[in-house]
Amino acid sequence: MEKEIKLDHITKIEGHASLILKIDNNKVIKCSLKAVEGSRYFEGIVKNRMFYEAPEITSRICGVCSCAHTLCSIFAMENALNLEVSDQTIKLRKLLNWGERIRSHATHLYFLSLPDFLGYESALAMVPKYRREIEIALKLMKIGNRIVSLIGGRDLHPVSAQIGGFLKYPGKQDLNEISSLLKECKVYAIKTIELFSRLSYPEFSRDVSCFSVYNDDEYGMFNGRIRTHNKDYNKEDYKNYLKEYHEKSSTSNFVVKESKGYRVGALPRINISCHLLHKEAKRYSKLIKLPNHNPFKNNLAQAIEILHAIEECISITNNMEIKEESFKKPKLVNGHGVAAIEVPRGTLWHEYIIKNKKIVYCNIITPTAQNLRSMEDDIRAFLPSVIKLKKEKIVLETEKLIRSYDPCFSCSTHFLNVRWI
Amino acid sequence: MKKLKIGFYGITGCAGCQLSVIFEEDELLDIINLIEIQAWPFIKELNYDKKFDYIFMEGLVADNEDKGILLKLRANTRFMVALGACAHTGCIPAYRHFTLKENYAHLLYEKKENIKDIDPNPIDSFVKVDYIIPGCPPDKNEIRSFIKDIVRDIIPKPYNNPVCVECKRNNNSCLLDNKKPCLGPITRGGCNSVCTNNGLECWGCRGPTDDSQIKIMVDLLINQKHDKKMIKDRLVTFSGTKMPEVKRFVYGKRD
Repeated sequence: MEKEIKLDHITKIEGHASLILKIDNNKVIKCSLKAVEGSRYFEGIVKNRMFYEAPEITSRICGVCSCAHTLCSIFAMENALNLEVSDQTIKLRKLLNWGERIRSHATHLYFLSLPDFLGYESALAMVPKYRREIEIALKLMKIGNRIVSLIGGRDLHPVSAQIGGFLKYPGKQDLNEISSLLKECKVYAIKTIELFSRLSYPEFSRDVSCFSVYNDDEYGMFNGRIRTHNKDYNKEDYKNYLKEYHEKSSTSNFVVKESKGYRVGALPRINISCHLLHKEAKRYSKLIKLPNHNPFKNNLAQAIEILHAIEECISITNNMEIKEESFKKPKLVNGHGVAAIEVPRGTLWHEYIIKNKKIVYCNIITPTAQNLRSMEDDIRAFLPSVIKLKKEKIVLETEKLIRSYDPCFSCSTHFLNVRWI
Repeated sequence: MKKLKIGFYGITGCAGCQLSVIFEEDELLDIINLIEIQAWPFIKELNYDKKFDYIFMEGLVADNEDKGILLKLRANTRFMVALGACAHTGCIPAYRHFTLKENYAHLLYEKKENIKDIDPNPIDSFVKVDYIIPGCPPDKNEIRSFIKDIVRDIIPKPYNNPVCVECKRNNNSCLLDNKKPCLGPITRGGCNSVCTNNGLECWGCRGPTDDSQIKIMVDLLINQKHDKKMIKDRLVTFSGTKMPEVKRFVYGKRD
């Protein structure tokens, strides 16, 4: 008997995705996952604009990851124009990035993922029975947002982080506030890990290349090379090993590494850099058998990253003395720069070519575009284990898998016009 | 008292506006008690999409699907609220109107058969909009007080002073005096001048005030020797659809 499952019109945070499955005689004969987001053409929009306008403009690609795009464009521009910034600037950028990691993971874990596992339609519906859990979520989101706004000037689309430095510095009082909030929130991070370690994850594993920025000194962040399970790569020549391609019907790029899908995000990062986690986070990382290739476990990996982020921010803000610094101004007016940094959902790439201070070329690769290929392959491999269930259950389990990746359209999988044919 | 039936929706955008509602960490649980959230596809699986009192719409219309969703929802609500800059002005995605087609033509590609790009535009190009909560991102205080107003049956008042009013009150030194291309004088405030407080010139994300003197703004920036193309680009980056005369003011001719 042939069944076709069409998950059409998956609206979300950043757009829409659709999934078409064809099953015949309990075999998957078609599986195609498409982003159908309305196109905004950011890479064209920044063309002919001044190089220093890119952070402000590209930030608008994503709300929850606005610091990610701001920072990645800044790093790419500094790489292009050969600009070195101070240690203090790097520290403040790290706080921005970790603050964003905390709020993004907390939002995904509690508002998008958890309702699936507890059998609720939404986090809002969980409030009567799980008020405490939702309050923990809100506390973690708040500390993340507070860090971002005290360092970046605003929680969404930060304003003070710029090429060459910061327009405004946090005061002593701001740092004290961050540091006391962090200490208060550590227990919530631990509770989050405990909660997500108790959930029942489907037994599923597919050995796919993990991918993350790596350096020996710290857990995946800004600097370093690209590391996969068996090989390191240079960022600058990414076009030699990554290939972007369009599926005819999708509005997002798919990206493959040496013709194969790969995974980016919290679980791949922990697989690659678990030895660099802070003490407590490292202890809890034993809850995941590493290396791990079960994409559902990305949820638990995110919970562990929240704890690491809090420990890392505590260590950065500890004894931090802020000095007012003058801005570093680039001397060059032409250049070519690439940056790849770790952001909540994985590795983010920005590349620019600057001629006479103007942007003449821009290429941006988002984490979700890199995960799409392997998400689709995972769905194909996972389906046989649920194929005999009722259609509704197949849909739920498939959505759970898609959401575990925390794709930029994961939230929209809460809005499926399911057409059974 | 019967609770207002509310929907939060997003068409093409970045989700930042809906997140601005969710990121009301201290008050979210109280706010959702004041209203009946019938639909919020971003965070809800079950969504009833008819007979709304208010719909908060994030995003702009970038393809025929967006347009279809918007028209359908407009027919099912008493009031339509444009939430954030994309819905209000088209924001940065609508800047495409003001740039050369050759800048993005190479990025165009064939879509799913039934999806077609249309010119990117704010939602009031297609449907009647009753209220605007401007900004990229919209101000959280403004969203909160808007919701509190409508549940008490008070008509929310738009803020119509330029950013300069709040900026002065916040004791910032004037960025225009420092030769920064700040659009504060023509831009609707209500954001507590968050950008200029942090040293960044205003980019005009909240759209022009009702009585904005765009020509005077342009002349001032030209006098300060800013590059003409840069002036034009800045003015239309966030709110170009609401300032169609910019190009003429900058280049002094109609074309």
